[in-house]
Amino acid sequence: MTDSMEKLAAGDRIELTFPARGDLIVLARLVTSAISARAGFDIEELEDLRLAVGELCLLTLQGHDSRYGDLRLELSVLDDAIGVQCTLEHAAPGGETQPDEDESAFLSQQILDALVDEHGRESQDGSVRTWLRKRRGVHDA
Amino acid sequence: MTVGREKDPGPESDTGADQSPLDPAEREELITSNLGLAHQLARRFLHRGEPLDDLVQVASVALVKSVDRFDPSRGVDFAAFATRTIIGELKRHFRDKGWAVRASRRVQELYLELGHATASLVQQLGRNPTVAELAEATGASEEAVIEAIEAGQGYRAASIDANESEDDPLSARLGEHDGNYDSVEDRVLLGPALATLPEREQSILRMRFVDGLTQSEIAVAVGVSQMHVSRLLSSSLQKLREGIGRTETDVS
Repeated sequence: MTDSMEKLAAGDRIELTFPARGDLIVLARLVTSAISARAGFDIEELEDLRLAVGELCLLTLQGHDSRYGDLRLELSVLDDAIGVQCTLEHAAPGGETQPDEDESAFLSQQILDALVDEHGRESQDGSVRTWLRKRRGVHDA
Repeated sequence: MTVGREKDPGPESDTGADQSPLDPAEREELITSNLGLAHQLARRFLHRGEPLDDLVQVASVALVKSVDRFDPSRGVDFAAFATRTIIGELKRHFRDKGWAVRASRRVQELYLELGHATASLVQQLGRNPTVAELAEATGASEEAVIEAIEAGQGYRAASIDANESEDDPLSARLGEHDGNYDSVEDRVLLGPALATLPEREQSILRMRFVDGLTQSEIAVAVGVSQMHVSRLLSSSLQKLREGIGRTETDVS
């Protein structure tokens, strides 16, 4: 009935760029849903990925004044996994990090630990890059 | 404050301190010091149609479970262990409520609800409604509305698309939905599986999905806690899924 959805295969790559605003992270989650479903992830994994990508975006925005920045999300379909990279571009540093930001970043990392196989964050020359990888068909006991 | 004892988690609760390798004071301390984590994780699941109080309750019970299952001798960080357990329970909570496993059906239902809401809002407002107005009218989040609209695009057949007019409201584009097909399909698949469940579980499923009672209303009717109803529904649905799997194999 609903099998008309086109599938994605290893090597397919999707990019989404949007203004780096928290309220637009919904776009990243929606795209992740659509891509994960088309890449053969089940509903449980899809939910994990949606949550994880939301956290990935939040983590990317941490510590930056993102008023003029953009978030670029790249989803790569791999053989047995999906890779997601989130980059903050053209944003200015937000000054001193607030304690609640540290706490929020820590929570995001804890959530990512629980939901995906690998993740990381690095910053260079004013741009921040976070990434995750989740394998298909691997559930916790 | 003793979390997990404030509200009765149900007679089948496995959150007993007896199972914990920690002494009672350590157990209490670990629970209390991680309540903030449970609260923060619950907040991450807001805006999905569930009140924060319910989410905090689920997260807190999960925290207590984490403490009781936690074995410090394994050298695992407690916060990481608890985060995994709490997220799992929150996800299970939504799944029991029909938001994950039955997502496609839920999305279809919401899409149909949107049709009715759109028609009525068009009349009220004299223009097409915004997503925010549709979200308010249906009680769903804006994200869910967008998702349902997006999913609805996939459900429409090409021949229906071909006849579509941009001026038509969403409801006009839905065509007629004959729920009888769904119920016939459900009955064929569910009937044999349902019959294998104990009478009490059949009755609870009927109250939830046929009569449309909330878990709390069922809890009052049956005389158990809401958490216990949630658990019974979860295990009954799991048995049904397994039963349907067998039925489909038998049929094919």
